[in-house]
Order: sequence, then C-alpha cells, then structure tokens
Amino acid sequence: MRVTLLIAWREYMENVKTKGFWLGVLLVPIVFFLVFHVSSRLATATPTRYYMLIDQSGEYAAAVETAIRREHQHRVMQDFMRYLQDNRANANNAPVHAEPSSQLAQLMDDFGNDEVAALDEWLSNGGLDFALVMARPYLREGAPEFNAPRPQFVAAAPPADVNHGAAPQDIVEQLRPYLNNERRIDVDGERVSLFALILIPADVDQDIVRPAAIEGLMTPDGGPRGVQYWTGNLTDTRLSSAIQNSINSAIRQQEYADQGIDVEAVRNVQRTRLPLSRLDPGKAVGQEQVSLADTFRQWAPMGFVYLIFISLMQSVQYLLSNTIEEKSNRIIEVLLASVTPGELMMGKLLGIGLTGITTILAWIVSFFVFIRLYQTVETTMIVQVLDVLLSSELIPYFVFYYLCCYALYAGIFLAIGSLCNTLKEAQSLMMPLMAVLVVPILTMSFIAQDPNGTLARVMSWIPLFTPFTMMNRAAAQPPVFDIIGTSVVLVLTTVAVLWLSGRVFRQGILRSGQPPRIIELWRMLRRTAG
Amino acid sequence: MSTPALELTDVTKRYGDFTAVNKINISIPQGSVYGFLGPNGAGKTTTLRMILDILRPDEGQIQVLGASSAVQVRNRIGYLPEEKGLYKKMKVWAIIAYFATLKGMSRRMAKDKAYLLLEKYGLKDFANSSVESLSKGMGQKVQVLSSIAHDPELVILDEPFSGLDPVNQEVLEQLIRDLSANGQTVIFSTHVMQHAERLCERLLLITQGIKVFDGTVDEARAIIPRRILLETRDDISSIRSLNGVLSVQEHKIDNETLLAGTRQWELYVKEQTDPQSILQHCFQSGVSLSRFDFTQASLHDVFVHLVGQEAREHNFR
Repeated sequence: MRVTLLIAWREYMENVKTKGFWLGVLLVPIVFFLVFHVSSRLATATPTRYYMLIDQSGEYAAAVETAIRREHQHRVMQDFMRYLQDNRANANNAPVHAEPSSQLAQLMDDFGNDEVAALDEWLSNGGLDFALVMARPYLREGAPEFNAPRPQFVAAAPPADVNHGAAPQDIVEQLRPYLNNERRIDVDGERVSLFALILIPADVDQDIVRPAAIEGLMTPDGGPRGVQYWTGNLTDTRLSSAIQNSINSAIRQQEYADQGIDVEAVRNVQRTRLPLSRLDPGKAVGQEQVSLADTFRQWAPMGFVYLIFISLMQSVQYLLSNTIEEKSNRIIEVLLASVTPGELMMGKLLGIGLTGITTILAWIVSFFVFIRLYQTVETTMIVQVLDVLLSSELIPYFVFYYLCCYALYAGIFLAIGSLCNTLKEAQSLMMPLMAVLVVPILTMSFIAQDPNGTLARVMSWIPLFTPFTMMNRAAAQPPVFDIIGTSVVLVLTTVAVLWLSGRVFRQGILRSGQPPRIIELWRMLRRTAG
Repeated sequence: MSTPALELTDVTKRYGDFTAVNKINISIPQGSVYGFLGPNGAGKTTTLRMILDILRPDEGQIQVLGASSAVQVRNRIGYLPEEKGLYKKMKVWAIIAYFATLKGMSRRMAKDKAYLLLEKYGLKDFANSSVESLSKGMGQKVQVLSSIAHDPELVILDEPFSGLDPVNQEVLEQLIRDLSANGQTVIFSTHVMQHAERLCERLLLITQGIKVFDGTVDEARAIIPRRILLETRDDISSIRSLNGVLSVQEHKIDNETLLAGTRQWELYVKEQTDPQSILQHCFQSGVSLSRFDFTQASLHDVFVHLVGQEAREHNFR
C-alpha cells in the first residue's frame, strides 16, 4: 500500500508539472470565458449586409422595408431589454420580473411572454426614444448610456445600367457577378459586396397561394414563383424570413380589407393568448411550476456526461504516455524489481485519477471565480441554477459514475499501454475503444429527451456505457431496479477488467516488439491465470 | 558459513520452443563479488530477471537471501537492468531518492543518502539538474547509484560497465569494491573480461543457456593449460617426455624475422608445473634457446576457448 501511494504521488507530481496539465486546466475556463464574453459581443459584430430591392409590382417595396426596419427594431429592443435587466435599479436578479404598476414592467412582461406583441407595442409607442424616456427613472445610478446596435441590413441602389422594367431573368443575369461576389457595388462611395437581391416580379400577385388551390411551388416551366430572394449566403436566413413574414402580413392585410374584416380587430385577436404552465408531478404541491432552473436541471446531466468524457480523454493521454514512457525508457524493469506489477498499476491508476480530479476541481473553482467576477443577467441565472444543482442528488451520482468510468476505462487503457512500445502502436489499438466511447456522446441528447426509453435502458446495461448513460438519466428518476442493477454490473465489470488488465499489464510490461495479436493476448491471459 | 545469498537449482526458462536458460545451478556466498559472463544472448539477463522474480522460471527453484522469491526480500535487493532508463523530467537527487523510498527508506533519509552518494561519486554538481540534461554515461552512473541507495544486501548489476568511459569504469569498479568491503553481495554481468578478472572472486560462464563454468577466476584460468613458447634449432623430443608436459606442437608462423633453421614450438603444461623446471631441463640437455615465453592464460582466452565457437555461430544466426 505504501509503495502504491508512493508511485501514485510521483505520478501525480510529474503530471502536475507538465505543460499539458496546465494547458488543460487553463484552457477550459478561458474558452468558457471567451464563448460567454465574445458571443454576446459577436451579434453586434456581424458585418453590415447590403441588399438590393427591385420591386416591379410596385406593391411590396414598403412591406420589405418595414420588414427590415422591424428586424432592426427587434434587435434594438432585445439589446434594450438586456440593458434594462443589467441596469435596473434595485434589480433583485430575477431575469424577468413583473411590476404591474409600471408601463416598463408591462413591456418587459410582454417581452418575456410574447415577443411579437412586445415589438408591436414597442413600435407603436415610438420605439427606443420613448422607451429610454420611460425607463430613465428606473435605471440604477451610474448606469451606462445605452448604445443602440447599428442597422444590420442596408439598402443599396442597383447599378445605373439595370433596367427596372426588364424581364426578371435578365435582371438576375445582369446582377449575377455582384451576387457571386465577382463585382462589388457602390454605396456612398464605398465598394461593398452584395448580400442579397430581392426581386419582386410585376405579376407576383398571380402566385399568391390560397387554401383552396395548393399547387406545386414551381411553375410548370420550372421557373421560380413569388418573390425572388437571391443570395450566396445560405446560412443567414434572418433577412429572408423577415421579408417573407412581412410580405405575407401585407398580403393578409390586403385580404382582410378585400373581405371587409377590420384589421385592427384581427390584430387584437391575434394577440390574445392563454398562458401554458409547465408542471412537474414530482415536486411538492404548490411548487409544481417548472422553472428555468428545473429545465436546466433536467439537462444538467448532459453537462456531467461531457465532464466525465473530457476528463477521461485527458486521463487516457497520461495513462498511455506514462506507461509507454516507462516501457520505452526501460524504467519499468527497475520498478518491477521494487514493486509488483499490481502495485505499479494501482499506483498509476490512483496518481492519474488524482490528476483528473484536480483538473475538474480547478475547472469548477475557476468557474465559480468567473461567475463571481463577471456578473450579468446570465451569470446570476447560472448561480441560481448551480445552487439547485449542488443541492440536488446529481452530485453523488456524478462522483460514483466518474470514479467507476475512470477505473473501468483506465484499466483497459493501461493494459493497452503495457502492450505497446510507442504511442503510434497504442493509437491503432485505441481506435476501437474510441469508437465505443463516441456512442454515449452521440446518443446523449436522445437519452436526455427520453431518459427512461428503450435506448436509454438498453445502453444502461452495457457496462462500457453505464456511467455515461446512467449519468445522463440521473435527473429523470430512473427505476430503482435500473440504478442498483446497472451499478452492480458496472462495479463487477470494473473489478473484472482491472483484474484482467493486471494480467495483461504483468505480461505486456516486459514485452518488446510488436503489440500482440488477439490470439496471443488470449494465451497471455491464460498463461498468467494458470 | 551462513546461507548463501543466492542459490539456483535446476533453473530453466523456455520461450516457446527456445530454451533461454537450461538447468542452471549456482550458489553465491554472502559478501562475494560474482561475475556472470557469456556471449550475447547467452541467457544472462533472463537469469537475472528470474532471480528478481520479474520472470518466473519454468522449472527449478531460486532462493534469494533465504526467501523463495525476490519479492519477499525486494527491499534488500538493488537492481540495475541491462537497458538503462530514468524518468527524464525528474531531478537527479529526486530520482535516486524516489527509488530508495520505493525500497522502504523514509523520504528524508533517502534524500540525504542521495546527496551523499552524488558527492562521493563525483556528481554533486548535477544533483539539481534534470535527468534529461545528463550525458548517457552520467545517467548510467545515476542509475547505478539509485540501485544501491537503500544499502541492499544483494546488488545485481546487468552490464554496468557498458557505455562508460575508462575513467568512469574505474569509478564503478571502485564502487563495487566499496560495496564488497561493506559486506554486500554483488552480482554483475559483463562481457568485458578485464572487469571480471579484476573484481570477481567467482564467476559463472554461460552460453546458449547452459552453464559451462562456475568457479574462481584461478580455476577458470586453469581450464586452459599453461603455454610455453620455445624457439630453437635443436631437437626437442626429450622435452615431450618430461613430467607435466601435456603436448608439444610446432607453432607455424610466416615470420621472416625467425632466424634461419630455427623453429617455434608450443608446449602445453599442467597447471602446477613450474616453467623453471622446463627451462632447467633445456640447459641440462643442451637445447639452446633463442626464445622462451611463458604466458598465463587470460580470462579472455578462457572465454574464447569455452564459448568462442558458439558465440561466433550465434552471431551468424
């Protein structure tokens, strides 16, 4: 035991001194911080998109412009809401909080429940200027000025030689070099690239689809129907969907008018809503309301699965490289004159396990430091969620499955390491195991959605997947039979794997030359067992 | 006499069809310096590994310091393997201390001992360097020190001299003498005969897994009869019948420096024969000598004599 601890301690100290360890410890919080910090800034950093509008019908240009203005106002409102939540006086950290007395609170409540309605309210009240005036008395002292985001979609005039009356395909042909970024357009003397062309043909009204007559989306000759939206960027769909909504809403208003329906009445009807309460039968009476933290708690196991996975990947590196270092340096022989292979293996398992735990603890500590130092609405929400997490039953699950998972896989990887002389050899042996390890990650979100479904239950009984799958299911109160049964199978398998790995380790550690074939491995196990 | 430090009885190790070590019997008294000699691939390392219970023999028994397995007495054994390696990132003193603590020493004592040894064997300035900054030879010295830091009763050194320059070979020889003077038993393997000749009280010669010799250095030398080289133009037939002369052969050489009419003869004589008596006989019987050489067989000659053929064959395999 003393020797095992000595080996573990040396292993730990050596690992902790490596650059890789510190990279691992520091990189995760840094990446986390960057993702958190930069993603909120990134939205405003999206480049300005220039679009060209050619409305041959003469009916929808206004609708398109409205759509784009609404899109911008929507962003302004979202930013303003965030600004309000960050800078409200006597904010009690509730992400969305209703104060019925104030119009501002009404707006925020609307925003939380029905963004479209809130946006209408926002626009009809005069937008940002009004909101700023209204919010002023409620801001905390020393609140920074609100910086409205820049408009993201800016109109560009078509080049002078484009004939607005030409056939649509001719116009597209003429503008194709711009759309393909081969040529640039002039906007206020600046050469910029064209993001999209919105072309509304003169006969666009013929293509309006009414419920009675659903036809194909394409005309018999295969040409596009309706409004033509041309762009080389297929991923940013904000503009196209905003335009589609806006034009449809314009057409519908026209239809209402044609059928003699009061547009205002329709809008009021559309804004009528009935709240939906999400309730959890597992909670105490009176507190069944599903909060954001509850939802998070349901998804949190996935975070733990990731944590187990990442930590395991890190440990695997140490297990393999340290064993192979000892083998290729022939230190192993001196060690074996002093300790038994079993002690050596356990010492390694322990030392590298400690390294992994240290890393996780370092991550958790830096995470806490981060949310203390960097307080925004999101992080205060995380604090609440963390409180829920830490007081939940998930932590013991995590500790148990983490340890079992580590012991199980570490045993296998140590055996692999003992059979190989170079990392290259080890890598080819590791491939199948890596393929196995990918499975719980791939199935993770399915299992989180259906934690007690067939897939989840079957995978729980496969020991290689048990730690991941059961951790994934932990928040969904899996049947007690599953919890206990799979744990027993897992622990027994882990013990068996460690025992077998010990055999392979003992044989493999003094081997030189190529890694053994399967049949040799089998002989090896039998030889030492006898 | 107390129990031997090491005793092997009919120890055999096979790898599939290949017999690496075949029925080796040895007994090594406590406090002696014992040499394992043999050509490459003779089974020296395999034997040493079996002594340490890193490998299990297929047959036979091994008694180490009175125990049936080295594992039981591992803290009383020091081992330097043939292929040397150290943790590259560790400090020199720390690695010596680490191996000593693995052998049961307390951390503090191990550290003190590490510094003591480094100072004694000329590595004091490197105590705080990392192992990877050392030259190969220095690294090897560090490894030797790490195998003896816990004052083991039995020290097993596999090829300790390989890779060392002549000065450091001297240092290592001194170290082995120090251990011996301290009452510690030392077993080392080598194929450099001079070291064995200078250091060993007894030696074992194995080839192809078979013991071909086990005894003192003098006994080994006696295996090859003493040789006397004569150069004369006279008839030497009377010498053939002398007591103690085993054989007389003409030593044919293409040497023009040989005086005209003279011939060279090789006489092999018994161990206890006094060369003086042969010289005296030559005078008395009127054989006039132009040369009389008496050479003691070296361990090298013994080695080549005993294993030369196999060793050469082995190289071509």
